[in-house]
Amino acid sequence: MENLVMETPEQTVLERLEKGAAPPPEAELPPVRTFEVKNMSIWYGEKRAIDKVTLDIASKAVTAIIGPSGCGKSTFLRALNRMHELTPRTRMEGTVLLNGKDLYASTIDPAIVRRRVGMVFQKSNPFPTMTVGENVVIGLRLNGVRNQKLLNERLEKSLRMAALWDEVKDDLHKPGTSLSGGQQQRLCIARALAVEPEVILMDEPCSALDPIATAKIEELIYELKSKYTIVTVTHNMQQAGRISDYTAFFYLGRLIEFGPTTKIFTNPSEKQTEDYITGRFG
Amino acid sequence: MIAPKHILGTFDESLAALRNNVLMMAGLTERSLERAIKGLFDRNDELCAATIADDEEIDQLEKQIDKDGVDILLRFQPVASDLRRVVSAMKLSSNLERIADQATTIARRGRKLNRHPPLAEVELIKPMYEHAMSMFKDSMDAFVREDVKLGCEVVGRDEKLDDLNQDASHKLVERMAQDPDQLRGYLNLIFVGRCLERVGDHATNIAEDAVYAANAEDIRHQSQTIAATTS
Repeated sequence: MENLVMETPEQTVLERLEKGAAPPPEAELPPVRTFEVKNMSIWYGEKRAIDKVTLDIASKAVTAIIGPSGCGKSTFLRALNRMHELTPRTRMEGTVLLNGKDLYASTIDPAIVRRRVGMVFQKSNPFPTMTVGENVVIGLRLNGVRNQKLLNERLEKSLRMAALWDEVKDDLHKPGTSLSGGQQQRLCIARALAVEPEVILMDEPCSALDPIATAKIEELIYELKSKYTIVTVTHNMQQAGRISDYTAFFYLGRLIEFGPTTKIFTNPSEKQTEDYITGRFG
Repeated sequence: MIAPKHILGTFDESLAALRNNVLMMAGLTERSLERAIKGLFDRNDELCAATIADDEEIDQLEKQIDKDGVDILLRFQPVASDLRRVVSAMKLSSNLERIADQATTIARRGRKLNRHPPLAEVELIKPMYEHAMSMFKDSMDAFVREDVKLGCEVVGRDEKLDDLNQDASHKLVERMAQDPDQLRGYLNLIFVGRCLERVGDHATNIAEDAVYAANAEDIRHQSQTIAATTS
């Protein structure tokens, strides 16, 4: 019985952390990196949510963050555009470089960061008092763009990129909330694309959608990755396997394993990763 | 190594059932091969007939394993070592079925040989059989124990079986020229040798699948490298 207790995942992780995790081979690391995260730790009050995470995010590729609830996935994602700072009593240590520039330098305006690094949330959140069209261009308007021709061009381009144009082009003046759940989520993606970000962060973008709407979002992610760096959090292992090029497994606020998705889902190096993705704990 | 329990008990049960069917199929295949060769050496038609009759059960097991494997893929979408185990089990069953087919062919050739006077050259088959059988048993051990080293060793041993077969074929062809009255008998022995050589090929496939299941390493089509590293 004692042996069984010794082999709980928590303790195995702690043992592993004591001896230090071997970094993945150079060949398994992203060749071109949009983000370079070094020794990131984040606290909510006294509670440490992220613990010394070092991770590079590949450019123009999809990186999936997986792990059980409370492992720090969403916190890590939000720290990539400083969104976590909106939570009171948050403290962060370490560095996050976006294309080589320190995202947390005192001279950097968080609002600018959030324009360069867009975010799509679990539940679609179009502004309820705005039309479909207004929802898409609101980011541009807030950034001072008044040129109607430019706004119209960006509206159509963003909706086309979000694979929504054909479905809503005749309903641009209807409320954004009148669309279906899947359409609303793509509307939010269009809204994020309209400000021409470099990165799109997605926090469980399909968890509230049916399989057909999910498939459309997944296809969209596949299309978008040729132009954008995408980081997505998902609880769906099959989805992570389908859509991502790289996968990072988080547990207890730590990065347990990072590597190419095919490697993680066929032959993970760490036992904790294997146990989690095969459904042996979590 | 015993894996921790899956959060879905039905998954562990399904995987165990799949594995048990593979092991049962391997046991039946081994028995068929033993009986076919014994029927040939002991000139025992009953053993040959039993081998031929057993093939049906092995065929049914192959279909059952494929069905169960597809069912697991559909219901549980396994990944990592679980995925490799399911895929390997399905590939293994196909190779086991083909080994059993070779045993059936040997049994049929044996029955033909038993109708004529015994040939001393049947002794040429013995070392081939022993080598092929040891490859088969070790490949299954490698699968059961997830023993990568043993799997690689089995792959490296296939070349010797090819040499034994070639050597026996040369000798039998020579005998055909010297003793044309027994031409059919020698021809049947050449076919038996070829069957055993194919058993070695399937054992090699099983060993390669065992290595993949254990280690996610694809060692196919690298026999020379493996032979060099294991010698």
